[in-house]
Amino acid sequence: MGTVHARSLDPLPMHGPELGVQADDLDVGETEYEPQQEVLENRDVVVQHVHIDGLGRTKEDFLTYEIADVFRAKNLIDVMKKSHDARQRMLRLGLFRQVEVVIDTSHGEDALPNGLDVTFEVKELRRLTGSYNTMVGNNEGSMVLGLKLPNVFGRAEKVTFQFSYGTKETSYGLSFFKPQAGNFDRSFSINLYKVTGQFPWSSLRETDRGFSTEYSFPIWKTNHTLKWEGVWRELGCLARTASFAVRQESGHSLKSSLSHAMVIDTRNSPILPKKGALLKINQELAGYTGGDARFLKEDFEIQLNQRLFWDSVLSASLWGGLLLPFGDKPTSIADRFYLGGPTSVRGFSMYSIGPQSEGDYLGGEVYWAGGLHLYTPLPFRPGRGGFGDLFRTHFFLNAGNLCNLNYGEGPRAHLSRLAECIRWSYGAGIVLRLGNIARLELNYCIPMGVQSGDRICDGVQFGAGIRFL
Amino acid sequence: MSLAAEAFVSQIAAAEPWPENATLYQPLREDQILLSDCASSLAVQAYLRMLGLPVRVHCRANAEYMSPSGKVPFIHVGNQVVSELGTIVQFTRAKGHSLSDSLDDVQRAEMKAYMELVNNMLLTAEMYIQWCDENTAAEITRPRYSSPYSWPLNHILAYQKQWEVRRKMNAIGWAGKSLEQVYEDVSQCCQALSQRLGTQPFFFNKQPTELDALVFGHLFTILTTRLTSDELMEKVKSYSNLLSFCRRIEQTYFESQDRDSQSGALDFSKGPSLM
Repeated sequence: MGTVHARSLDPLPMHGPELGVQADDLDVGETEYEPQQEVLENRDVVVQHVHIDGLGRTKEDFLTYEIADVFRAKNLIDVMKKSHDARQRMLRLGLFRQVEVVIDTSHGEDALPNGLDVTFEVKELRRLTGSYNTMVGNNEGSMVLGLKLPNVFGRAEKVTFQFSYGTKETSYGLSFFKPQAGNFDRSFSINLYKVTGQFPWSSLRETDRGFSTEYSFPIWKTNHTLKWEGVWRELGCLARTASFAVRQESGHSLKSSLSHAMVIDTRNSPILPKKGALLKINQELAGYTGGDARFLKEDFEIQLNQRLFWDSVLSASLWGGLLLPFGDKPTSIADRFYLGGPTSVRGFSMYSIGPQSEGDYLGGEVYWAGGLHLYTPLPFRPGRGGFGDLFRTHFFLNAGNLCNLNYGEGPRAHLSRLAECIRWSYGAGIVLRLGNIARLELNYCIPMGVQSGDRICDGVQFGAGIRFL
Repeated sequence: MSLAAEAFVSQIAAAEPWPENATLYQPLREDQILLSDCASSLAVQAYLRMLGLPVRVHCRANAEYMSPSGKVPFIHVGNQVVSELGTIVQFTRAKGHSLSDSLDDVQRAEMKAYMELVNNMLLTAEMYIQWCDENTAAEITRPRYSSPYSWPLNHILAYQKQWEVRRKMNAIGWAGKSLEQVYEDVSQCCQALSQRLGTQPFFFNKQPTELDALVFGHLFTILTTRLTSDELMEKVKSYSNLLSFCRRIEQTYFESQDRDSQSGALDFSKGPSLM
């Protein structure tokens, strides 16, 4: 950084009555207009005032945690750095459309010769924002109406509402989010929702109406989420021709579960990472807080990425999960694991591995899946540094297995069952990154170890996914 | 039932003979089943017994939701699922089993008219008493209907069902009726049935038909089910030929068959007896 000049200029123009919060801004008016210029680089300075201009409904006390650090700056560079950090922190709160920082020498009667005033000029988000989309897919059209109230009570609380009205199904979700003051990573949220899913691979329709509360907090480098969820689940057959095994699962059930999720993510990007690792562990205990679904569900996901020569990346991932029912009731089709599809075990159709009845996949109580990928840039690197960077080619080797547990056999028998009849596949393809949320894959796959009943997709397979192996 | 579904049922059904493992599904007999569902289930069982087709009865808490039409009972035959008496009659006929083949067209029309009468009067009256008489709904219907579910789902589902039935009653103009009027309707229906039956063993002389199965299912269930008041039972009891009709069918198709097959525990599913 070069030499930094700070100039005392005319007092800031005042605009709008909403600025009334900062009373000490007003007595700056009588400064003599005498431009002074000084080099301040290594001089000790004292931050005397920090103003936030443009606050409407945001409560000032909530922001003091974010700006407190600015007061601790000892020289100008420090002030700039800390102000910048504070700006980032304020932007992250999701309260402001923009935040600008103005650093000025102190004015007024109590102004010290080396005193500085830092002013954050913020523009708050609108009280209510809305969106409207139409979507077509799965033989169904729907319109989606979204409403967002950022900063409802002035302390970064957020209320979002989404309503989707379709030709077949309606869904909605209402959520309230509140971060802890001064610690944005600790947050509390409440959700109320109704979602309907149609799962053609199981000929199953599921309608969930639920209520959940969750608390998220970081510990060292990990993020934890504790959650209680109560869901009223309604299962039904998608068609008259659904298998009887699916028909038997129809009806209402109530799941009340406590769950804990832990995530460590050191990757540089969630969709096409070049380095870093991910570890996700999820555990859910249902039935101890009421309801009629009683089980313990454990699930993990590991991903390791290593950068190699020529901008290529070697990535290895492993998933696994176990569902243990309590009591005499068997597990529900809605709780079991499913495997297969264009972003998990490639070369197999969506969720079409493992136990099935008359062509309807019933899911399994235990599964594992692993993948090894070599990602390289596109051949000849078209669109380098721009559009072309959204694409990667990859070579993959996937494997996995899914089965049910019969709890008389003992753990050794279970392990050997998981080790036999392994489904695996290999192939190559192109990956397109869609924002930082999802990816599209077009692959040529060769499925191996196919068991009777599995539905395969030999050759070209196209798919999109948020979670990928 | 739609025409397409009807065609579907009759086409596919013809292919295979009646299997040994045919199963009838109904709600839990002890704690859950309601008068109207019990009557419908018994009617189907009586019908299949009259045809001599074996069926096992399975009780499931979610039988209503398993049924393709949302109504109980339904039967699972081979890989077919068929619900309600009317459709089951068509289904068995497609497989070559029928009770009403010997009837002429006039008799068949008459039989259908009486079946409609029973469905429109007796079944609707049962539904009315179960769900629209607040006394019965609170003491018997809602607790039984919701017995398999945990709180708060039990209340949600019971009130949802009650609301649904009341809306249907509104649509067919029964919502404004008083309990006395409903009992009077039942009485009239029974009188019509009693007159048609006269002194014959069955409605169409010597051979039972699906009408006999349907009437038996409803009357027998009304006679053997305890409600908050005995009024409904008393209305039926005043027709002695209907009473002996019920007793006759019970003896012919339930008691004697159960004794013959020696597997009473599995197949006996009718519940209490009239004796």
